[in-house]
Amino acid sequence: MEGFAIVLASEELEKIQAVSIISSVAAASEIPIEIFVTMNGFRPFEKEVVDNMDFEGGRAAKAMMEAEDVDVPLFTEQLEQAKSLGPLSIHACEMTMDLMGKEMDDFVDLFDGKLGVSGFLNAAEDKQVIFV
Amino acid sequence: MSEDYNPDKVIDSREAACPGPLMDLIGQVKSAESGEVLELKTTDEGSKNDVPDWLDKAGHELLEVVDQGDYWSIYVEKS
Repeated sequence: MEGFAIVLASEELEKIQAVSIISSVAAASEIPIEIFVTMNGFRPFEKEVVDNMDFEGGRAAKAMMEAEDVDVPLFTEQLEQAKSLGPLSIHACEMTMDLMGKEMDDFVDLFDGKLGVSGFLNAAEDKQVIFV
Repeated sequence: MSEDYNPDKVIDSREAACPGPLMDLIGQVKSAESGEVLELKTTDEGSKNDVPDWLDKAGHELLEVVDQGDYWSIYVEKS
């Protein structure tokens, strides 16, 4: 198994949460994962958004945020745990950051670094690509 | 019952939803010694079904899934 390269371009919580669940279990099982955050995908990683739980999303996202009887760990916690358990890297699209005027300090501390499209294509070369 | 297996480690993941219990188990399995028995407590029915699938792939042994009434105990032996 060569692993997965996931392009995360959505700001919807339920989608990023699904990416986080699959990536976390995969990485913890030694399946390499490269996540490339781009376009709207950056918003849920902003410190202010995470601190205020100010996420966009649909039905599943609302259910998740309102759930009282089940404890759904937020993607930030899941990804942090997964990074300590297995091969998972999270890259920030440099172009989008320039476009939106964002710095690494604006985001929660999960990114391994910035990457351009060529860098991502290199990382994805031997992997199956999933676009979210 | 749990006393039959005398687990070396007990992981209490009750109330956590998918994939919490599985992630907790994977973390503990990694740091366990070969032959050690772990007990994972979960209230998540999805995890009860998903954990055996992970064990199958990862090559660890599923000893038993015990219905404890309001949660399940999944007994695992590290290979």
